[in-house]
Amino acid sequence: MKRKFKPGLTLRFAFPLLVMTGLLLGGCATLGPEKPKDVVPTDRGTVIFLEKYEFKRPPAGWAMLKNLEGGDFELGFLTMERGAFPSQTTFIFDNQPFGSSRDLDQRAKQYCTRFLFNTGMYPEIKKQEKIEVIGLPALAIYLEGENPNRTEKAKSKVYLIQKGNRIISFVCTQWRPLNGIYDQAAFGQFEEFVKSFKFLKKSFYENFEEELKKLGI
Amino acid sequence: MDAHQRDLYLYERLNARVLGVSMDDVTTNKYFAKSFWLEFPIISNTLAWMGAAYGAYSDKRPFAPDGSPIRFGRLTVVIDKKGTVRYVKTGSPNNQEILGVLLQLEREFRGK
Repeated sequence: MKRKFKPGLTLRFAFPLLVMTGLLLGGCATLGPEKPKDVVPTDRGTVIFLEKYEFKRPPAGWAMLKNLEGGDFELGFLTMERGAFPSQTTFIFDNQPFGSSRDLDQRAKQYCTRFLFNTGMYPEIKKQEKIEVIGLPALAIYLEGENPNRTEKAKSKVYLIQKGNRIISFVCTQWRPLNGIYDQAAFGQFEEFVKSFKFLKKSFYENFEEELKKLGI
Repeated sequence: MDAHQRDLYLYERLNARVLGVSMDDVTTNKYFAKSFWLEFPIISNTLAWMGAAYGAYSDKRPFAPDGSPIRFGRLTVVIDKKGTVRYVKTGSPNNQEILGVLLQLEREFRGK
């Protein structure tokens, strides 16, 4: 038996269905503004992070560490060395390093008393020197320590940098087994990251001090 | 506390003072303040009446199984020049938010 086809009736149902689908899809596309990406690559071989900082990313093999809701640091990178004794190298940018003094030498003292304090290791300051980092006065601190109980050791390089009235930091720490050899290439990648680092926006504190100045405080 | 000490120069410019309140005894607080290089006073309020007065109750059980008091949590309170509580927040202090409140209070005080 031949089925009767009623084009008028089909179109009567099909048209509102198409309109509804269109409305639904259109609605999906306009559900609030699109969230900007955390990391945006540039044509200069760098990336822009949260529209605040621009820097050169370390090569493949380094995972990015992001702290978007506040915490011990804002961003960093981590790489793991697999094998019999897996160990890692991390480097971070921290705009609120341990301690509170706004004097670099005093802050270094405060910082080093608490640096890696929960690792059961007491890193020793091997060298400390006054230098310039990204065009700002800074202290470079080289630390090393061992934890015989956990048969591991660590080597760190810390930059404490005077930026206006605040002190910010870049820190690289590499963990290795006690008999392991440190990988200098990882420290080189940290240096590249620091050297390329640019501030694209004023910080909260810089803006806040401008507000205070407007009030004559 | 570290963050408050870091921002102390800004609090002072806004004519605000920081006061820490703890249930620990005076000796413990002294060592705590020294280890964090704190330059603002910490009140030793072992009977915890201040915590009770400002509602710093923790959402945990009032007492731990060993009987030690854990009924107070972290609370940040901003009190204005007239003694009115203008800001209350539980948990870790948000210093940027606190500075924003202080700036607003200063603007109100100056009528700007």
